[in-house]
Amino acid sequence: MSSNILRRVYKRSSSILSRYQSISTLFVSPSDPQSIDFSTSIDTPRNYSPVFEFPSKDASGVSLLSNKRLNFSFGSSLNNTRLLFSTQAAVQPSTSDGLTVDAIVANQWAILDESENDWKSHASAIAQSIRLIKKRLQWEKLKVRLEILSFQLEKPDLWDDPVHAGKISREHGSLMGKMKEVNGLEQELLEHIDMIKLAREENDPDLESESVKALLKMRQNVKEKELEALLAGEHDSCSCYIEVQAGAGGTESMDWAGMVMQMYKLWAERRGYGVTIVDEMRGEIAGIKRATIKVDGEYAYGYAKAEVGAHRLVRISPFDAAKRRHTSFAAVAVTPILGDGSHHVNINESDLRIERYRSGGAGGQHANVTDSAVRITHIPTGITASCQNERSQHQNKASAMAVLQSRLDQREMARQAQMNSQYTQSLTDNSWGNQIRSYVLHPYRMVKDLRTNFEVSDPDSVLEGEIDDFILSFLTDSMDKENEV
Amino acid sequence: MRTRKIKLMNLTSLARVSSLSTAFASRTLHRSITCRPISCSSVSHAPTSLKPKPPLFLRPLTFTATLSDLQKWQNWAKTLASSVGSSFTDLDNGPDSENLHRELNWLIEDALENPKSLLTLDDSKRDTVLQLRADLDELYSLWKQRIEKRKPFQYIVGCEHWRDLVLSVEEGVLIPRPETELIIDLVDDAIKQNQELKEGLWADLGTGSGAIAIGIGRILGDFGRVIATDLSPIAVQVASFNVNRYNLQDKISVKQGSWFDPLMEFEGRVAGIVSNPPYIPSGHIRGLQAEVGRHEPILALDGGEDGMSDLLHLCNGAALMLKPGGFFAFETNGEDQCLFLVDHMKTVHHNSFYNLKIIPDFAGIKRFVTGIRS
Ligand SMILES: C[S@@+](CC[C@H](N)C(=O)[O-])C[C@H]1O[C@@H](n2cnc3c(N)ncnc32)[C@H](O)[C@@H]1O
Repeated sequence: MSSNILRRVYKRSSSILSRYQSISTLFVSPSDPQSIDFSTSIDTPRNYSPVFEFPSKDASGVSLLSNKRLNFSFGSSLNNTRLLFSTQAAVQPSTSDGLTVDAIVANQWAILDESENDWKSHASAIAQSIRLIKKRLQWEKLKVRLEILSFQLEKPDLWDDPVHAGKISREHGSLMGKMKEVNGLEQELLEHIDMIKLAREENDPDLESESVKALLKMRQNVKEKELEALLAGEHDSCSCYIEVQAGAGGTESMDWAGMVMQMYKLWAERRGYGVTIVDEMRGEIAGIKRATIKVDGEYAYGYAKAEVGAHRLVRISPFDAAKRRHTSFAAVAVTPILGDGSHHVNINESDLRIERYRSGGAGGQHANVTDSAVRITHIPTGITASCQNERSQHQNKASAMAVLQSRLDQREMARQAQMNSQYTQSLTDNSWGNQIRSYVLHPYRMVKDLRTNFEVSDPDSVLEGEIDDFILSFLTDSMDKENEV
Repeated sequence: MRTRKIKLMNLTSLARVSSLSTAFASRTLHRSITCRPISCSSVSHAPTSLKPKPPLFLRPLTFTATLSDLQKWQNWAKTLASSVGSSFTDLDNGPDSENLHRELNWLIEDALENPKSLLTLDDSKRDTVLQLRADLDELYSLWKQRIEKRKPFQYIVGCEHWRDLVLSVEEGVLIPRPETELIIDLVDDAIKQNQELKEGLWADLGTGSGAIAIGIGRILGDFGRVIATDLSPIAVQVASFNVNRYNLQDKISVKQGSWFDPLMEFEGRVAGIVSNPPYIPSGHIRGLQAEVGRHEPILALDGGEDGMSDLLHLCNGAALMLKPGGFFAFETNGEDQCLFLVDHMKTVHHNSFYNLKIIPDFAGIKRFVTGIRS
């Protein structure tokens, strides 16, 4: 923004600010006398004197307004809380002449191509995106959750259990971040509109075109945020393990499992994720019986979880001398690698059986081996994990433990989700059963997702790792469907 | 056979010793210490050089090769590995093709600056020049030795990954075994039980590459110290090199000498004694897996007729050297040796030890004997 614009923003800042008083009340702690009497701020919003300066923007476009009081609270009594929410609903941020984001959506201004320099079109597109983002973030639920978390954070005995407290404050921080970001977007949109109106009033074509440009930029930026909002799940930002297992059918299906694993390796590399093979059991002739890779990077789990299920291949098998058509399956499981302190299961050493496998003979000084494969069995659940690709037994054991932890966490999360039926089955359930995608190489060529009906006619590109479209269409679909109910 | 001719004890003589007192055992100890070096000198390898060769992964990137030449080598090496099939496994429980392929990847990992480049190659980059830590001829010769001479992979790359350590090894020094890693966990448990041990003096007898000593050195407290002994001058050199590499020279002193000789001054004051002494019965040496029998030092493997000579010597020494509450852990050849040792301790060193335990390795073989000095 030019300094010229800035000056104007400052000039009008007091009125802009007053429109956000509903947010600002969020940031008043209960110890603050002003927060005790909410009615004051509701009745006389324009006289409310805030504890911070007018809004300015940080690099990410999020208003600093909301950063002022990180530790916001909803007051200590339920009564206050309810009051607060009604406040927020009553006083939405708006432009100087009262236009709100909801109103922009309701206006249904035509959304034209980006190249058309029409501010209403941009504003309408942005408002739609914001609404979609809110929907994907499950905005109403998010607010309730945030309220609960803030309430818990206020409890004086919270830090008696530091692990629990850590979890609460992390989740609170992350939800807060999302809320601020969306509030920031709304605010930014309205500011731009205000600016355009101002420019028109004052007959300043430079300012107007600059503001329209800013709107356009925002429109593009918000489109990306729509995608990010798809990955708002608690563990979506984690790294993950992807496990592929060959179905029945011998060499043909082991070859297929190998192809599927290769597809994920290429996909992960394409996205810039780190890939390490943790465990691999090769087929005698081709492919793999099963394998596990670790995919390291932000949102690896968020994306890869869309791949869970059975993948079906139809082709003329190169392993069949009679050149018959075969159908085979490979099962894919994905588990998140939660950070220390956010595990859902505490593993008890005494519940573990640790075995060296593929070792024979007397061992010890008798043998020179470079293979120190280790398998760990969690006796109460029967869940196992193995690793043989590290160069020491100790490291193999550590890797296998990490896989085991991830599998146990996943199992526990699925159990909890089932109990609260909070998530759709497909997202958390690692059951091998449900077929999710079909890859046909013969008699025609096509890859089709059975959940979304998304399909492409070039299986080669898919097998080379171009699966983002499948993932996004599934995430969009399931997310938008889920939030409708 | 180049095995030891002089056997100080065998099972029958020990059975006799069993009835004797600890005091006598300690006299036996002193006697054996004086005899032992003589018997060993007849088997020790002539040290080629006393300066340890740095492992491949630590050598400078002084060589280059084009991607396509390196690829040629890799394909040749793969073919050679594949040709092995399961023949070594069938012969003497040696590595199969799959093991060898994995080793080849690790060799590449150690020899190249950027090992990934070899995996993600496309034809347009054939002439790219890569930096290497060994020249291509050496890589050919190394892999040939791996397959044709059955030279252990760890001697090829000059290192062994052991626990979270990477230890330098070379011919003349035993390659630390995965089983032995557990000794560190046993010690860790012991010092958790008795915090005093954490700040005491520990001994790793027959330290070889220094593996156990370094593993322990890293879990002891600020005042804890380790004396690592070995009769082999190459082992002493290599262990010192490794100790320095992990910057533990102030905590661990490596001394050349037979078993307890270098620490006699600490009699009765040692907090912990650990050892993985030679325990293979002499008669089994001939049938060992080629990597072991043909390449590893016999001094590190041959435990006498029943494989127990050194273990028994160590047991007797532990009774003498440990302070009350002191901990010991010994690795053995398996269940028979474990049972014999425990029985020996209970009878010969009656009331000298308590909490005697036999602990299996991850393959389920009863591998370790541990206990505490009364
Ligand atoms: C089985 S190796 C163990 C090496 C090392 N501690 C490890 O676990 O990798 C046995 C070691 O005992 C050493 N050794 C053999 N006789 C010895 C003696 N009389 N005194 C001291 N060390 C001896 C050998 O040189 C060899 O390094």
